[in-house]
Amino acid sequence: MQLEWGTIFAAAGAAMAAVMAGVGSAIGVGLAGQAGAGVVSEDPDRFGSCLLLQLLPGTQGIYGLLIAFVIATKAGLLGGGSALSATAGLSLFLAAIPIAFGGLLSAIAQGKVAVSGINLVAKKPEEQGKAMLMTVMVETYAVLSLLISFLLVNGVQV
Amino acid sequence: MIVSMKRMTLVAHKADEAAILNALQSTRSVEVIASGDEGDTHTALERADARLQALGDALGTIRPYSQKRGMLDAVPEAKATELAGSLPEAVALSEKLGVLVRELSTTKAEIEKNAELIDSLRPWAAFPADMQTYQSSKRVKYYTGLIAAADVEKLGSLEATAEYQLFNEGLTRTCVVACPLEEAKSVANYLKALEWTDYVFPKMGGTPAEAMEELSEKNRMLNAKKVELETELSDSSSGKRELVEKAYDAAAIERDRAFAATELIRTSATFQLEGWVPEDRVKQVEQAIRSVTDAFYLDVRDHEEDEIPPSFVENRPFATPFEQVTNLYSRPDPNGIDATPYMAPFYVLLFGMMLSDTGYGIVLSVLTALFIKFKKPTGMSGGFARVLFWGGLSTAVWGVLVGTFFGMDFDTLLGTTNMFPLFVDPMSNPIGMLILCFGLGVLHILFGIVLKMKLSFSRGDWQSAIFDSFSWILIILGLIVYAVPTSVQGIPAFVGTVGLGMAGLGALMILLFKGREKKNPFARTISGLGELYQVTGYLSDILSYARLFALGIATGVIASVFNELCKMLMGSPILVLRILGIIVACGLLVALHGFNIAINTLGAFVHCARLQYVEFYGKFYEPGGRAFRPLGYRTKHIRILDEASSGQN
Repeated sequence: MQLEWGTIFAAAGAAMAAVMAGVGSAIGVGLAGQAGAGVVSEDPDRFGSCLLLQLLPGTQGIYGLLIAFVIATKAGLLGGGSALSATAGLSLFLAAIPIAFGGLLSAIAQGKVAVSGINLVAKKPEEQGKAMLMTVMVETYAVLSLLISFLLVNGVQV
Repeated sequence: MIVSMKRMTLVAHKADEAAILNALQSTRSVEVIASGDEGDTHTALERADARLQALGDALGTIRPYSQKRGMLDAVPEAKATELAGSLPEAVALSEKLGVLVRELSTTKAEIEKNAELIDSLRPWAAFPADMQTYQSSKRVKYYTGLIAAADVEKLGSLEATAEYQLFNEGLTRTCVVACPLEEAKSVANYLKALEWTDYVFPKMGGTPAEAMEELSEKNRMLNAKKVELETELSDSSSGKRELVEKAYDAAAIERDRAFAATELIRTSATFQLEGWVPEDRVKQVEQAIRSVTDAFYLDVRDHEEDEIPPSFVENRPFATPFEQVTNLYSRPDPNGIDATPYMAPFYVLLFGMMLSDTGYGIVLSVLTALFIKFKKPTGMSGGFARVLFWGGLSTAVWGVLVGTFFGMDFDTLLGTTNMFPLFVDPMSNPIGMLILCFGLGVLHILFGIVLKMKLSFSRGDWQSAIFDSFSWILIILGLIVYAVPTSVQGIPAFVGTVGLGMAGLGALMILLFKGREKKNPFARTISGLGELYQVTGYLSDILSYARLFALGIATGVIASVFNELCKMLMGSPILVLRILGIIVACGLLVALHGFNIAINTLGAFVHCARLQYVEFYGKFYEPGGRAFRPLGYRTKHIRILDEASSGQN
């Protein structure tokens, strides 16, 4: 059987973007969730603030999904696509790298900041805004990765 | 705008003290500060604190028995004088509830204790003798304890010296070992080598079985008592929530007043109050005092060098909610400027760009408008709700400009061809969109530098305005103008030269005058070079505005992904499946778009705030003010209406 290398590379890229960013978010949200559950066990009223902070490292997974979807659409993986050249496929694979790694690592780092933020909220509930801001600072780099991945995918000629 | 604060000193008759404090509280305009020695009012403060504590406990007790307030129910309103009326009844209720709660908790503890005893006695149910008298013999030593089932056989080797008996089955077995007194020591040592735990019977008469029966009987009675207490608690709690909430707030108001009273200086006939009052409220404060008495002395003056006034800002209605965004960062220094009115328009603009979907904007604005209308939130949540309302409007406008409505194209929706987007399509022209973002960023940053210049001029420091701020405007604008002829066709090349000249002039000004306080020309140039290195900082600041684009496409693409998914669901060729798919897709669309709105609103809110704090405020804002905390009504449950409803706050 003739392997369609272009399509294979594109699929690998889409999978990598979704999986790595998703894993990062899962770890980040997981860390924050543990800390949040601990705080809520002491003070159930803190649930809302803790949930918001727990949610923040979750965006990388969404960014990964987004790039995966854009690649899949571009490569015609969702049905009705013609064969992809190997160059285009490999380019799409490489375009997924920024969000895959940027997403993975920034989500984990953001999860750690979210844990600290949740501890901050436990002690000083009125400082929730500051805890959220510090957590979001980390996300900047996921956003930048997303941007570059998106521009690269957009720029690939199919 | 920062309102200038006046320092006030008030001297009046002691007899009028309570009435004057009450009147000042109703103006919500005076912050009372400590004026020295401690008074005897501390006991009054302690009493007020204790009452507040008791009412807070009562509220905690009542809460499970009362209805929760709905999400959209407005906070109840009342006048301050009405609240105090609820105090006597609520205090009586809180005392009664306190007694009930204590009794309930002792009953529960007793039930628990008895249950534990029963559990520990259960393995001994077969023990036939009285627990206290079985070892009354003078010649025999009894060991009672628990032994691991595996070690039971080893007891056999004691046969020569001792007898043993087991009373139950299982992994650990209850056991009594009896031996003559003279063998007691060796038996004890032997037992120690086994898995043996000594057991001491509780101080109760009769056999264990009888004791268990007695304890269960006790617990039955206690349980009945517990149920009784719980019904009484729920009966006396039901419907009392609002009463206790009112009383709690009344007590809080009185506590604040008692606290202010501790700050006063007293002589035998007069008291003296020191405080801060906003300049434009002085009249109002004087009137309030005059309504109580004519016999007073009021002095209002500007603050002296070593006194730090609290920072208090007042803005026009549009900008007021955005004070909450500034507060999240830090309050302005009383000697600096209030950045809120400058930040608010940019906040709205940039927020809309990050969400940029007409449908989402409309949903956000409608939801926050309903929230504001029905819940009437104040303070932080009220501020944020209004910020999001304006952000939603801006989002709707940006949605038209970039042409998306719930992730769909306006063109396909309205049947027009290529009419939308009105401005720029981020999907087909990402570089154009990126340039737009950076352009807005440059504008934002330059505006920040201009504000810094303004601040320097207003302080009479024209040197720092020109050399530290204006030079940077020259550099940034110059570099941009320099780049224009190379990227845009039809612009003569000399424009670029002009730009380069501007940038060079700016750089030269920094190089020569940054270290103007230094005499040594060498040191001057070094500090100028250090400052010039800041150009990387400006570059990264401008690049940071790329997030506007990234968050914008994130919202848009996620929305269109959701639409695609639902389209797939609805596209089945089999009729039954298609109908089912349409039903599921409708529900799913609402849920998914709701999720997307929520998560991206959160993202837009915080990223927009970050652009303000780091990129904008970093240029000119002087944080560090202390919040103005006037003696007023800081209530938790009831919103206090003004006596005259004069429209303050």
